[in-house]
Amino acid sequence: MSRKVAILFLSFALAVTLLGFSAQPTRAVLSLTMWHMEQPPHRVKRVQELLDEWNAANPDIQIKQEVQNWGEIYTKAPLAAKAGGLPDIMFGIPDFTTVLLGTDAVKPVTNLVKELDAKHKFVPAAVEPYSYNGEIWAVPLYGMVHSLWYNKEMFAKAGLEAPKTWADLLAAAEKLHDPENGVYGIGLPANKQLYTDQVLYNIMLTAGASELFNEDGTIAFDNPATVKAFEMYKALWQFSPPDSVSWTWGEAEAALASGTVPMIFQFTVITTWEQQSGMPADMLGVTAIPVSAEGMEGAIYYSNAALLTTGDPERQAAAAKFLSWLLEPKNYGRFLNMEPGLFLPVTADGATAESFWNDPLTIKYRSQVETMVENTKNGALFGFTKGRVFQAIGAISAQNLLSASLQRMLIDGLSPADAVKWGQEQMTAATR
Amino acid sequence: MRGSVFGKLLGTAALLIVLFTVLFPIYWMAASSVKVPREIIARRVTLVPQSFTTQHYEKLLSASNFPTYTVNSLIVSLSTMVISVTLAVLAGYGVYQTKFFGSQTFLRAMLVAYAFPTVLLIVPLYFVLSALRLVDTYYALIIVNVTLTAPFAVWLLQAFFRSVPQDIVDAALVDGAGQLFVLWRIVLPLIAPGIAAISIFCFVTSWTEYLFASILINSDALRTLPPGLAGIIGQYQIDWGLLMAGAVAVTLPVVIIFALFGRSFVSGLTQGAVKV
Amino acid sequence: MRVVTLSGQLAAPLPRRRPSLGYLLVAPLVLWLLLTVIVPLIGAIGLSMQDMRIIGTPSNYVGLENYGRIIGDSAFWSAAGRSVVWVIGNALLQTALGFVVALLLNQRLRLARFARTWILLSWVIPTAVLVIIWRWMLSSAGGGLINALLLEARLIRLPISFFGSAESAMLTLIVINSWRWFPLTALFVLAGLQAIPEELYEAAKVDGASVLQRFRFITLPSLQPVLASLGLIGFLWSVNVFDVIWLLTQGGPSDGTTTLPVFIYNAAFKQYRLSEAAAASVVFGVLLLVCAALFLRFIGSPERER
Repeated sequence: MSRKVAILFLSFALAVTLLGFSAQPTRAVLSLTMWHMEQPPHRVKRVQELLDEWNAANPDIQIKQEVQNWGEIYTKAPLAAKAGGLPDIMFGIPDFTTVLLGTDAVKPVTNLVKELDAKHKFVPAAVEPYSYNGEIWAVPLYGMVHSLWYNKEMFAKAGLEAPKTWADLLAAAEKLHDPENGVYGIGLPANKQLYTDQVLYNIMLTAGASELFNEDGTIAFDNPATVKAFEMYKALWQFSPPDSVSWTWGEAEAALASGTVPMIFQFTVITTWEQQSGMPADMLGVTAIPVSAEGMEGAIYYSNAALLTTGDPERQAAAAKFLSWLLEPKNYGRFLNMEPGLFLPVTADGATAESFWNDPLTIKYRSQVETMVENTKNGALFGFTKGRVFQAIGAISAQNLLSASLQRMLIDGLSPADAVKWGQEQMTAATR
Repeated sequence: MRGSVFGKLLGTAALLIVLFTVLFPIYWMAASSVKVPREIIARRVTLVPQSFTTQHYEKLLSASNFPTYTVNSLIVSLSTMVISVTLAVLAGYGVYQTKFFGSQTFLRAMLVAYAFPTVLLIVPLYFVLSALRLVDTYYALIIVNVTLTAPFAVWLLQAFFRSVPQDIVDAALVDGAGQLFVLWRIVLPLIAPGIAAISIFCFVTSWTEYLFASILINSDALRTLPPGLAGIIGQYQIDWGLLMAGAVAVTLPVVIIFALFGRSFVSGLTQGAVKV
Repeated sequence: MRVVTLSGQLAAPLPRRRPSLGYLLVAPLVLWLLLTVIVPLIGAIGLSMQDMRIIGTPSNYVGLENYGRIIGDSAFWSAAGRSVVWVIGNALLQTALGFVVALLLNQRLRLARFARTWILLSWVIPTAVLVIIWRWMLSSAGGGLINALLLEARLIRLPISFFGSAESAMLTLIVINSWRWFPLTALFVLAGLQAIPEELYEAAKVDGASVLQRFRFITLPSLQPVLASLGLIGFLWSVNVFDVIWLLTQGGPSDGTTTLPVFIYNAAFKQYRLSEAAAASVVFGVLLLVCAALFLRFIGSPERER
C-alpha cells in the first residue's frame, strides 16, 4: 500500500514540474479578453474560428475568449467587478445587464450603437431592452425568440391545422390528448425556472399583458389581462404530462421529438429534430404564438448583446472595432451560425446575409428559420418594454417570480386571480 | 457468523439487490452514452442498447476540452491530496506526541469548520483570494479543497495515531532518533491504512467539487471537470448523448483510481471508524 | 500491520513531551484554516452588518438590523423547519439502509468482499453527474426510465411526477441524497460490527440470549461510539447539502424544498439581499454549533471511549 501511495506522490510531483502552474500571458500588444456564456463545444469552436481570423488580420489587437456558465455568472461577474477582474467585453442579456450596472462596471455604448444602426439597421426589439437611463448599454449581437413548434404528422392525422388563436390551441391540445397511449396534448413546464417564465410570458404577451411596470416603476402585474393569461395556462395545463412540472428546454424538446407531446413552446428544436425524432425536416412545424381574441401578437425575445466592461478608452476603441467587424454581413452570419436555427440576426442586413442562409442546417430548415426571423419582429422581454426598465427587474428575473406565481396556481391550487395577486406582492417587495 | 446454504443464498440475493441499486444508475448512464440519439429519448425504453455508436465520445473529444479538464482535475485533486494529507499527518502527530494544552478542543474545533454554509463563505473568500492574486489559478482551488478536506482528514487520522503503541515511539526517541525520523520510519508505516483512506477521501472530494471550481476559475485552460461537464449543456438545449458521454468521462478516472486503491480505502476507513 | 521492532530498553524514563513541538506541528493546519475559514467568516460577519444588496455595490453600516429582520422572517424559520425534515429524513433512511447493508456486507461471502468496495461508487461520482442521471431517469419525457418501466408493468396508469408537489419533491431528494451516502454509512457501521469480539456473541448464546436480545444488548451498545461520531459528521454534512437540491428543484415547487442553505443562496444571489443572507448564515452557523454541542453532550463525544 505505502508503495502505491509513494508512487502516486512521486508521479504528482513530476506532473506539477512538467506542466507548471498557470502561465502569465505576455503583454506585447493590446490583448483583450471576452467572456461569453455560449458553452456548448461547437459554439466555442465557431467563436474561436472567428477570433483566429480577427487575430490574424489585426496583430495589434489580440482577443481571447473565456467561456463562462450562465448558472454562476450572476455571482461571478459582480465578484470579479468588485475585485477588478472583469474582462473587456462581456456578453449578456438584459436582466444580467441591470445587475452588472449596479457595480459601475458597464460603460455606455450609445454612439457606437447609433453608428452601427446607420450601417446595418438594428431590429428595434433588439435595442429596446438596453435603452434606458438616457443611454444604450450594450451592442445587440443575436436574438432568440420563442415559437410554437409542432409535429406536423400528428396534426395532419387528426385533421388539424397550425393553431392561430388561443381557441385553436386549446382545441388542438384537447383533440390530441391521449394519456392512455402516453400522448399528451401539449408540453408545458411549471417549475420555478426560466423556461416556465418564458412560456408564461408568451401567453401573457398574447393576452395583452406585456408590462410588468407602470411608468413610475410600480408593479403592473396584477391586471385582468395577466389573470386571463393565467386562466389560459391552467386550461392548457390539464393536457400536459404530469411530470412536465420539472421540465426545462431539453426535456420539452425530447418530448416533442419522441411523440409524447405534439407541440411545445421553444426557441428552436431544429438542431436535434431529425436525429431525435427520426422524422424528416418537413414534418417539423413552426408557427407564431397563437393569439387571444382581443390580444396582440407577441413572443418572448432575448436580445443577446455585448457589454463593454473596461474603463480604458484605448481598449474600448479596440473592442468597438472588433464588434463592428463581427456585425459585418460577411462575418455576421458565420457568428450567428455557431448555433444554426437558434441565433437570429438583430440587423436588417444580417437577415439577408448570404453567410447566414448558407449554413447546411439553415438551408434544410429554411422555411422554419424564416418563420422564426419573422417572429422576432413581435418580440418582447418582460421588464424591458417601452423603456420602463427598473433595478427591481434583476431580482424579479433571478427569483423567477413569474413562474413562482404560476406555481401558486398550478401546485398550491390558488385561483388565477389570487396567484396573480401573490405575484404582484412579491414583485412589489422586490422593488424596495 | 455462519449460516446454512439457504442463508448464504438469501444473503447473496440481498447483496445483489443492494449492488444493483447502487450500480444500475451508473450502468444506465454508460449504456445511454453509446445509444444513438433517437434511442436515448425513445418513449419505449431499452435497458440494453439496441444501437451502438461512438459519436458522442467522438464529439466530446473533438469539440471540447475534456482532456485539458481531466489534466486540470488531476493536478488540483492530487495537489489537494498531498497538502491535505501532509497537514493532517503533521497536526495529528503533534497532538499524539505532545497532548499539548487544548489539543482535544483543537480536534473538536476541526469539525466546526463544516458548520458554516459554504455558499456564503464564497463571497469573502473570493476577495481574500483576489487580494492574493490567486483567482483563476490552480492555487485557488487547491487552497479551497484543502480547507474542505483537511478537518475530516485530521479527525479520521487521529484515531489511527491513538492506536500507535506509545512505548515503541518512546523507545525510538530514547535511542536518540529525531521526531521527524520517528514519524517517517515508525509511525507512518503503522498508520498507512489511515493515510490511504484520507488520501482517497481528499482526492474524491476535490474531484467532485463544483461550486468553487466554477466561480474561482475563468479561463478554459484551467477549468476542472465538473464545471467542464456543466459546460456541455447549452442553456436552451441538451445533447443527452454528449452529456452522458461526458458524465462517463468524468466518472471513469475516479472509478479507475477506486479500482486500484478502493480496497485500501475501505479497509482504512473501517479501521479508522472503529477507533474514533 | 507490521510492528517495527527496535532495540529499545522499555524501562528507560519517558522522553519529555514538548508542547512547543505540538504547537509547531499543528500550526500549518491552524494557519491554513484561519486564513480560509476564520478570515472569510469575519468578512461574512462584517458583511452581515452592512446593507449590501448586489455584491460589490456601495453599502452602509446598519448594525444588527439584518439580524432582526432575519429572525423575524417567517420564511427563514420555514426553511429551518425544512432543514430539520431534511436532516431527520436523511438520517433515518441512511441509518436504516446503512445497518441492513452493513449486516449484509459482514457475511463471509466473496460477493460481500467485492461489494464492500464497489457500493461506494455512488459516493465517488460527481454531483453534476448524479443530478443528470437522476433527473433523466425520473423524467417522463422520452427516455425517462422509471416511469416507462412502471407504465409497462402496468403498476401505474399515468406517469408519476416525482417533483410535482412539495412533499414528493422532498421525499425524492432525500432518497437521491441517501442513495449517494448510504454506502459510506454502511461501511462505518460495518467497521463497528467487525470490532465486536465474536466471544461476546458466543457467551450470550450460552446464556440463552435471542437474536434480538443479542442485537439490543451487544451490537447496539458496541456500535454507540461509531454511531455517535458518524451522527455528528453526517449531521453537519447533510444539513449543508446545497448542490443536489439546487440543481434538481431550485428549492421548489413553491419553496417546498427550500432548506436553509437554499434559502441563503436565494437571498444572496437571487433576491440580491447579500447582507441579509450573510446574517442568515451567521444565525444558521450558530444554530448548527448549538446542535452539535447538544449532540456531543447527550449522545456521546467522539473521544470518550478511550
